[in-house]
Amino acid sequence: MIAAYLRSMTRRFLRRGQNGREMDEELESHVQLRADALERGGLDRAEAVRLARIEFGGQVRFKEECREAMGGNAIHQAIQDVRFSLRSLRKSPGFSLVAVTTLALGIGATVATFSVVNTVLLRPFAFSHPEKLLWIYSQRSDNPRTNFSLPEYCDYRDQTTSFEGLAGVASFNPSFADSGRPERVQGVRMSASAFAMLAVRPLLGRTLIAEDDRNGARGVVLISYGLWSRRYARDPDVVGRAVNLNGETREIVGVLPASFALPNLDTEIVVPLQPDGDPRRNVRNSVNFLRMVGRLKPNVTAQQAHAELEAIRQNLQRQYPGIYTGKVGITFVPLTEEIVANIKSVLLTIFYAAGAVLLVGCVNLAGISLSRAAARQRELAVRTALGATRGQLTRLLLTESFVLALVSGSLGMLLEVWGQSALLRLVPADLPRIESFSIDWTVLLFAGALVFVAALACGLAPAWLLSRSDLRDALVSSGRGSTGGGLQSRLRTWLVSGQIALALVLLVNAGLLLRSFVRLSSELPGFDSIDAQTIRFSLPQTGYPDVATIVHFYDQLHSRVSAISGIKSDALISILPLAPKSISFIHFTRPDRPPARPEDTPSTNYRIVTPEYFRTMGIPLLDGRNFTESDDAERPPVAIISTIVAKNHFPDRSPIGQRILVDDTDGDPRQVEIVGIAGPVKQTNLETPAKADIYLPLRQMPKDGVPWLRNSAYWVIKTSGGAAGVEQLLRDTIQNVDPNVAVGAVRPMSETVAAALAARRFSLLLVGSFAAAALFLAAAGLYAVISYGIQQRNREIGVRLALGATRATILGMIFKEGAVLVAGGIIAGFAIALVLARLVASQMYGVNEHDPFSFAVVGLILSIISFLACGIAARRAMNIDPIVSLRCE
Amino acid sequence: MSEEAELLPGTLDLLILKAVSLGPLHGYAVLSRIEQISGKRLFVEQGALYPALFRLVRQGLLKTEWGKSENNRRAKFYELTAKGRKRLQAETDWWKRAAAAVTSALAARPQRA
Repeated sequence: MIAAYLRSMTRRFLRRGQNGREMDEELESHVQLRADALERGGLDRAEAVRLARIEFGGQVRFKEECREAMGGNAIHQAIQDVRFSLRSLRKSPGFSLVAVTTLALGIGATVATFSVVNTVLLRPFAFSHPEKLLWIYSQRSDNPRTNFSLPEYCDYRDQTTSFEGLAGVASFNPSFADSGRPERVQGVRMSASAFAMLAVRPLLGRTLIAEDDRNGARGVVLISYGLWSRRYARDPDVVGRAVNLNGETREIVGVLPASFALPNLDTEIVVPLQPDGDPRRNVRNSVNFLRMVGRLKPNVTAQQAHAELEAIRQNLQRQYPGIYTGKVGITFVPLTEEIVANIKSVLLTIFYAAGAVLLVGCVNLAGISLSRAAARQRELAVRTALGATRGQLTRLLLTESFVLALVSGSLGMLLEVWGQSALLRLVPADLPRIESFSIDWTVLLFAGALVFVAALACGLAPAWLLSRSDLRDALVSSGRGSTGGGLQSRLRTWLVSGQIALALVLLVNAGLLLRSFVRLSSELPGFDSIDAQTIRFSLPQTGYPDVATIVHFYDQLHSRVSAISGIKSDALISILPLAPKSISFIHFTRPDRPPARPEDTPSTNYRIVTPEYFRTMGIPLLDGRNFTESDDAERPPVAIISTIVAKNHFPDRSPIGQRILVDDTDGDPRQVEIVGIAGPVKQTNLETPAKADIYLPLRQMPKDGVPWLRNSAYWVIKTSGGAAGVEQLLRDTIQNVDPNVAVGAVRPMSETVAAALAARRFSLLLVGSFAAAALFLAAAGLYAVISYGIQQRNREIGVRLALGATRATILGMIFKEGAVLVAGGIIAGFAIALVLARLVASQMYGVNEHDPFSFAVVGLILSIISFLACGIAARRAMNIDPIVSLRCE
Repeated sequence: MSEEAELLPGTLDLLILKAVSLGPLHGYAVLSRIEQISGKRLFVEQGALYPALFRLVRQGLLKTEWGKSENNRRAKFYELTAKGRKRLQAETDWWKRAAAAVTSALAARPQRA
């Protein structure tokens, strides 16, 4: 049955010609056979054929009935509608071109931004049910996200009942070596049981199992997809290979999937935590280096879990008085949020902006279609008179906009496919997950939905108008006298005001982003990035057991490069300003002013430097003296503090010469003397104001810091301009001093600063372009509606002029109309922008999201552009010759 | 001609199936066959025949083949498919039952009601 139906339909549509000929032949053979019978009855041949034809009747009607009997009538009608639409679009190429361009760009832009949103925000992470996964931090009075110590973690892990499991996660950035050159990699030490909890499936080999966490278990490591690709060219036999991490041999047991992001996508290796083998396992006051990740049990809410952990925390505090002071609470952060948090609102803003442009485009086209429908009212009326139903006409108009949207959507997708490499160059390089960008089914589905919505948005207004208007009127009344009348022009007015409102919202948004960007880029970071080159490195575990060996390593570097003429100065620092995801801070006290409560102990960023650091980075020393080479282990320890520390903690006297207690060892706080005050530096990002900093000389670094500094440090070099060859020079110098040192990429400090602005630059660029596009479309829409109005009222204007109205009066009339439209749009736009402002609030810097200045300027720009659009349209009215216009009808 | 009966709706398909069941026929012959087997009491309008034939083909009850007519003209022949044969059987049974029921109803006498 279905097969026969399909065969029948196929014959009807795909073999139309053959089918028609066969039908003709069959009917003709019928007539001839009937004639044969009549001839046998005694008629002569000619008469018999004539009679047979008369008996049979109209062949055309029968053929049509036969075709209908073949099935697929809905398809047939749709094909007819589409053909008709194509014909009528071909007949007005100007409109079609404008419409297709507008929609294709709108759909292309929206799909492009969606594909980025899809890649970064929507694609599933490697974990099942990621919404149940939480990061858990220890909250301090001055920082909601700090780490736990190992014994503390073990207590939470053993006591909680709200979580299916709690895994401890610690940074672990070892030097990674095999037969090739050693390299510094980023990674984590993590409870092996975490993998079962996260439900991560390995790409190759296995993930970690509980067995790997046992004290004394064989050393294993998981490598990331990125490391596997980069270092092993995706060799499937990598599992089982031995590698060397910080001098310790481990076996690669698995490769993680590309979507593995814990704590983020930069993780390249994972090793088991092995808590029971750690010397700090039972040292209550040992260093805080762990945060926790947990999966909530199915029927437990985050609030309940939080209450439980809070109770455990308070118990621990009672059990170990004095140990956990300063830890005042527990902070939960959803796991996925931490991966995409910073970029989420930026991406969504861009996506909404693109969508808004598409919407403006659609509304614009709806306006144009509306005037086309009005102009075609007579044609449509004739069709009605000839028997077309209102439904058929509505379908016709909607089919037209569907055809338009479909063509534009396909072009938009082509733009997206061709433009994706350009798009990827545009997005900030540190956008998480962007390297897995691809156009997938979700994007295609979204594009399809967009085409559908765009078609409705463009076609609904004219179709609705049609259903409301009396077509007989159009036929009866002559000429252009009545073309849709009040309803149509009201609708057009609304549409134009709507466009202006949307354009205004986008402009306000772009204006706010621009002001934030200007404010931020004119902010001084506290250092001078010009001609500063940086390189991150980590020292091998063997050969650098103490501070002296590290000092010796640096002295060799220093003596090698200071002989080179192009290099002005160089220095070593534990963590560079704006270094990604690195934090290090310590607590300190002024002995003469102990904190009222232990948890009020102030904290400060903690940096180990060599004396040349301040000169190399251009950080001003405002008071006191710099470190010298003689500030070494033999001399009393000294420190340089930033102005922030001075201002907050020494309001009463000069801090120079004062002694403070810094808590930077596993033991009791030690006393250091403040010898200098340095300028404030933005350490985490450009947005966050400079916080307290304390600098200590490398030569006086406590022994406990050795593994930490060995793990990661930076070498900064100030050149006398020109970076050519510097990169190789720096790498070679390090390799010559010790070939086992793992080095990262050489990066100019200016690039680090630019990268800190990259996301803003990206969003400003896109939102700005979208706003400009929307402004252009809205102006074009305004122009169209004004000039259409003038055209419609040609005669009226002619009469007015003939009766003595001056051109100025006419101009005034036109501008008044325009002003009403624009004012309506601007007021509505301001209202929407005020409501939506909170969406962009998180992206503001130094500017309030309701910034009256931005609103005013944008309103002014929009008014001027609208005024121009009206003016250009009004020129037409000025050229009306009353005699011609009165005679022309 | 007074003997000529109106074709009941829905019976055209049944008659065509019946006519064709006796052997492949071209369109004109289907008309003649219906006339003939109904004792010249049923006439099918020439133009109504072809849409019905096309519909039955679509439903997979008939299949077609071009061939030569008895007086050597090229014509399209319609033939019953297996499915068509089954349908004819079913429709015939249904028709008989329905006709019997209607006949019996019409034969009812007032006192038995």
